[in-house]
Amino acid sequence: MTAPVPDLDPVIHAQVRLRVVVVLSALREGDQMAFPRLQELLGLTGGNLSVHLRKLEDAEYIVVTKTHHGRTPTTLLRLSRRGRLAFDEYTAALHALLDAAGSEETP
Amino acid sequence: MGTDEAAPVSAAESLRLIETQRDAAVRSLSPDPRLIYWPWGLAWLVGFGLLFLRHGPHEQVRVNMPSGLPLAALFALMIIAFLVSGVAGARANRQITGDSSVRGLRYGLSWLAAFAGNAVICVHFSDLLPASEVGLLWAATSVGLVGVLYLAGSAAWQSRDLMALGIWLSISNIAGVLAGPGWHSLVISVAGGGGLLVAGFVVWLHWRRHA
Repeated sequence: MTAPVPDLDPVIHAQVRLRVVVVLSALREGDQMAFPRLQELLGLTGGNLSVHLRKLEDAEYIVVTKTHHGRTPTTLLRLSRRGRLAFDEYTAALHALLDAAGSEETP
Repeated sequence: MGTDEAAPVSAAESLRLIETQRDAAVRSLSPDPRLIYWPWGLAWLVGFGLLFLRHGPHEQVRVNMPSGLPLAALFALMIIAFLVSGVAGARANRQITGDSSVRGLRYGLSWLAAFAGNAVICVHFSDLLPASEVGLLWAATSVGLVGVLYLAGSAAWQSRDLMALGIWLSISNIAGVLAGPGWHSLVISVAGGGGLLVAGFVVWLHWRRHA
């Protein structure tokens, strides 16, 4: 067994937060997604999603904008530059891990 | 999946999760291309096909039907296409704000400006031309605008598919005009409508890869 790898970013390396980052990374440059759409895409409860969004916001990986759409308050979300970079580094680390594991298994 | 799993398994699982979630997001954020292209392709194929059969080259009537039927069918099918593609596009873009909405709004505005201006010009010249040439004037300028607007759209969205379609429609339209009244309808029905159906299929194949 291999020990847990410290190189993987713990903020992103959790299923829900990883999925949030992936969805937001699929947006076009300059676009934002409203909270309910993200919730619907991920199939999560609002409370659960909020907890994870808070952690991503604390790490400054996402930008949360509270605004009003008419009279309804709306929460808009997008990946920050820092978040995009962290996601790129995370996927690069995954590939590096897989490559390392692959070469270890080779006799 | 937690943070404490054995590294190799966890890495592979994470990559699979990323891929699955990205595909789901891409499919949700862009409408099914079949709903965007096929209703328009069908409208042109049937509408211009009927025009050719009823108002053929040299006023030839290949299939007997009321004189106004082809145009009525074309407009009815285009209204349906407008609604179907509009709803599909709006569904994909719901609760998304930002640069894309601005781009979409301005692109929509360019269609409105193009066709409003074109209608005024065509109405102005319609009285001066024989009936067969009036039909060609409206059809040729309209299809020409669609080709150019697709090309402009390909610049706004960096889309090769739209560019290819814009070039194809522009060339088909020019060929149809050179062939003359009646023939233009046939060219737009087959090459234009058919081109839209093929484009929808090709773009759908790309889109489906995310399924």
